[in-house]
Amino acid sequence: MNTMPLYGATLLNLSLGLAVLSLLILTLYVKRGDYRLFLTGQRAALGASFLILLATTTLLASLVRGNFDVDFVARYTSSATPLTFKFAALWAGQSGSLLFWLLILSLYATIVIFQNRNRHRVLMPYVIITLVTIQLFFLLLVNFVSNPFAPVEVDFAIQDGLGLNPLLQNWVMAIHPPMLYLGYVGFSVPFAFAIASLLSGKLDALWVRTIRRWTLFTWLVLGCGVLLGGYWAYNELGWGGYWAWDPVENASLMPWLTGTAFVHSIIIQEKKNMLRVWNMILIIATFVLTIFGTFLTRSGVVSSVHSFTQSSLGPMFLGFVLLIVSVSVFLLVKRLQDLRSETRMKSFLSRESGFLFNNVIFVSLCFVVIWGTLFPIVSEAVRGTQISVGIPFFNQIAVPLGLLLLLLAGVGPLLAWRKTSRESLIRNFSVPVLIGLTAFLVSTFFGIRSFYPSVTIAFSFFVLGAIGLEFYRGIRVRMKKFRENIFQALMKMVSKNRSRYGGYIVHTGIVLMFIGFVGKAFDAEQDWTMRVGDEVRLADYTISLSNLREEERPNHYAWIASLVVTKGEREITRLYPEKRIYFHRNPDPNRRQPHSELDIYSTLKEDIYAVFGGIDTGENLVSMKIMVNRLVRWVWIGGYLLLLGTIIALWSPRKKLKS
Amino acid sequence: MKINRKFPVVIAGIAALLVLWVAVGFEGNELPYLTIEELQETGTSESAKRFRLGGNVQEGSVVRAEENPLDLSFNLSQGGETLPVRYHKIVPDMFKEGGEVIVEGYYVDGEFRADNLMTKCASRYEGDLREAESSG
Repeated sequence: MNTMPLYGATLLNLSLGLAVLSLLILTLYVKRGDYRLFLTGQRAALGASFLILLATTTLLASLVRGNFDVDFVARYTSSATPLTFKFAALWAGQSGSLLFWLLILSLYATIVIFQNRNRHRVLMPYVIITLVTIQLFFLLLVNFVSNPFAPVEVDFAIQDGLGLNPLLQNWVMAIHPPMLYLGYVGFSVPFAFAIASLLSGKLDALWVRTIRRWTLFTWLVLGCGVLLGGYWAYNELGWGGYWAWDPVENASLMPWLTGTAFVHSIIIQEKKNMLRVWNMILIIATFVLTIFGTFLTRSGVVSSVHSFTQSSLGPMFLGFVLLIVSVSVFLLVKRLQDLRSETRMKSFLSRESGFLFNNVIFVSLCFVVIWGTLFPIVSEAVRGTQISVGIPFFNQIAVPLGLLLLLLAGVGPLLAWRKTSRESLIRNFSVPVLIGLTAFLVSTFFGIRSFYPSVTIAFSFFVLGAIGLEFYRGIRVRMKKFRENIFQALMKMVSKNRSRYGGYIVHTGIVLMFIGFVGKAFDAEQDWTMRVGDEVRLADYTISLSNLREEERPNHYAWIASLVVTKGEREITRLYPEKRIYFHRNPDPNRRQPHSELDIYSTLKEDIYAVFGGIDTGENLVSMKIMVNRLVRWVWIGGYLLLLGTIIALWSPRKKLKS
Repeated sequence: MKINRKFPVVIAGIAALLVLWVAVGFEGNELPYLTIEELQETGTSESAKRFRLGGNVQEGSVVRAEENPLDLSFNLSQGGETLPVRYHKIVPDMFKEGGEVIVEGYYVDGEFRADNLMTKCASRYEGDLREAESSG
C-alpha cells in the first residue's frame, strides 16, 4: 500500500486548518492589538504555506516515481514520459494546477512576510489576512472539490499511465504555464496591500510605493507568459499564427491590460498624489480578472480549446469573484471621501493627461476583450443561441485602439508635467513627426499602401523618433556638463534614472512588436498535395519535395519530408517537417495520436513555415501547408527588449520606506 | 478650473463612442452556433451567411478524393441528424472518425462547405490542450 497520497491529502487538511487558525488569530489581533497575537497569526500563515510546499513536493514525488494509483498521476504521466515533463505534468491537469497556484501564492506570501517583517506594522496584518483568505479559497478547492491526491477510479485502471499529450511535450509548454501563474498570482500581493490600505485607513502613497517593484515584476512575468504562449502556438500548432483571440488567451490578456494601466497610473500617484481612487479600482479589477481568468479556463463555460471538461469549479469561482468585488466596493465606498485627491488635472496637453488617456484606452481595450469573450454566454442566455464574434471583431476594435496606445507611447514623454507650452510643443514634436512622415513616405514608395500597415509604420517611427530624441537630449546634456563620452553618458544617464529609461526601452520593444504585427498583412499561405519530385511555388520561392523517409523512434513513428527551398537559382534552405504517430500503448491504431512536427526557416524579413498535414501511404501522396510569414521575428525581438527594459526599471535604487 | 470639468465630459464622450463602435463592430462578425436541425429549417435563404456547427464525424463517412487527399468530405452527425460537409484544407491532427468537431462555413445546396475545422480534444486528453486550428 502506497502511503504517499494519504500523506499528501493530510498535509492539505492540516494546511487548511492552519490557514483558518491564522485568520482567526489575526482578526483577534486587529481587535485587541496584542502584538504576540500578530506574531502567532503570522507564524500560522507561514506554517500553512510550508505545508502546501510539502504537499506539492509529495505530488511531484508521486509523479516522478509513477504512483499510478493516484488518479492525477495516471492521467497525466506514463512510465515513458521524460523526467522534465513528469514535473510539467503538475500543471497539465486541473487539480494539480490548482495546487500549483496555491504553491506560488504560498511562496509569495512567505516572501512578503519576510520582506516586511520589520516594516509596515499597520498594513501587514491586513496584508496577511487578505493573502490567507485567497489561500483559504484555493485550499477549500483542493481539499473538497478537486483533490490532486484522489485515488484512481475503478473504471480507469491503466497500468503505466496515459502519458502527457505530445503537444505539451515541448520546452515552451514546460515554462509557459508557470510563467502565467507566477504573473497571475503575483497580482494578489499589490491587491492585498491595496485592501490593507483601505482596511487600515492608511491611505497615503505608501502602499503604492511598497508594491511598485512587485507589480513591475508580476507585470513582466505575466507579459512573458502571454508571449511564450504565442511562441508555443506558432512553433507547435501549425496554423502559422501566434494569437487567435481564444477565450483563454483573452483570459491572460485581460489582467495584463489593466495591469499595464496600473503600472502607468501608479507613477501619477507617486509623483503627483493623484488618481488615488482610480489606482484602487485598477488593482482590484486586475486581481479579479486573474481569478476570473482562472474561472474561464477551468469552468468550460465558454467553449474554448483550453478548458477542462465539465467541472464543478465554475460556480465556486464565480462566488469568490462576487465576494471579492462586493467586499472591495464596500471598502472603497467607505473610504471614498478620504481618497479623493486635492490636486487636479490642469491641461489636456500635460503628461498627467497623457497617462490618463493611456489608462482610458487600456481599460477600454480590456472591456472590449471581456465583452467579445463573454458574448457567447450572454447571447445564449438572452437569445437562446450561442453567437461568437470571432477574430474579425477583435481585430476591428483592438487594432485601432492598439495604434492609439502606440501613438501615446510617443506623445506622452514629449509632454511636460502640468501644462505644455506651444513653443515646447513645436520644439519637441517636430523631429519625431518628421521621422514618422518620412517612414510613411518611404514605405508608400516601397508599395505598402494599405491603411493600417501604413499608419502603424508612421506611428512606430514617430515613437522611435520621440524615444531617440529623449536619449539624445539626455546624453548631450551629460556630455556637455560632465565631459563624458557618449557611452559613459548613456550608461550614467540610464543608471541615474532607471525606471524612466527602462520604460523607454520597453516602449521600443512594443514598437518592434507592432512592426511584427504589420507583417501579418503580407503573409502568403497555401495547402498542397505533393509527391516526391513535385515542385510548388509560393511568394518568390520554389519548394520541392525531394525525399520522404520513415523512421521508428522510442515512442512514435515518423514520416519525414525533405523540402528544398530555392529562390531563383539559389538554394535558401532545406526544411524537414514531420508527421508523427504516437503509440501510447494503445492497441487500437485508429486511436493513436497523430502529431505534425513543423519546421521553420526564420529570418528578420520572413519565416518559411512548413507543416506536414497528412499522408496517404497507399498513393504516396502527402498534404503540405507552406506559409511565408513576414516579420514574425520582430515580435519575439520586441519581447526581449520588453524583458530588458523592465529589468532595468526593476533595478532602480531602493528608496527608504518609512512606515 | 474650466479644464477640470471638461475632463469627465471628454472621457465620457470617448466611452460613448467606444460603445457605439463595439456595437457596430458586431455587425457582420457574428457567427451563430446552430444545430443541424436549425440549419436545415432556415434553409438556403440564409446561404450567404456564415455559421458554426458542432457534432461528431460519422464513422465510416470520411472520404478523400483519390487524386487529392486535401479534398475531404464527411458526414457530421448531431442528435440523430446528419449533414454532408466538404472541406478543402489540411485537417488538424486530432481529426478522426467518431471525433467531435466544430466547423465554420456556408450552407449551400444541402451541403455544408466548411472553411474552418476545429477538433475538440479526445477524451483521453482532458488536459490543458489546445488543438491545432486549420486556419488562423
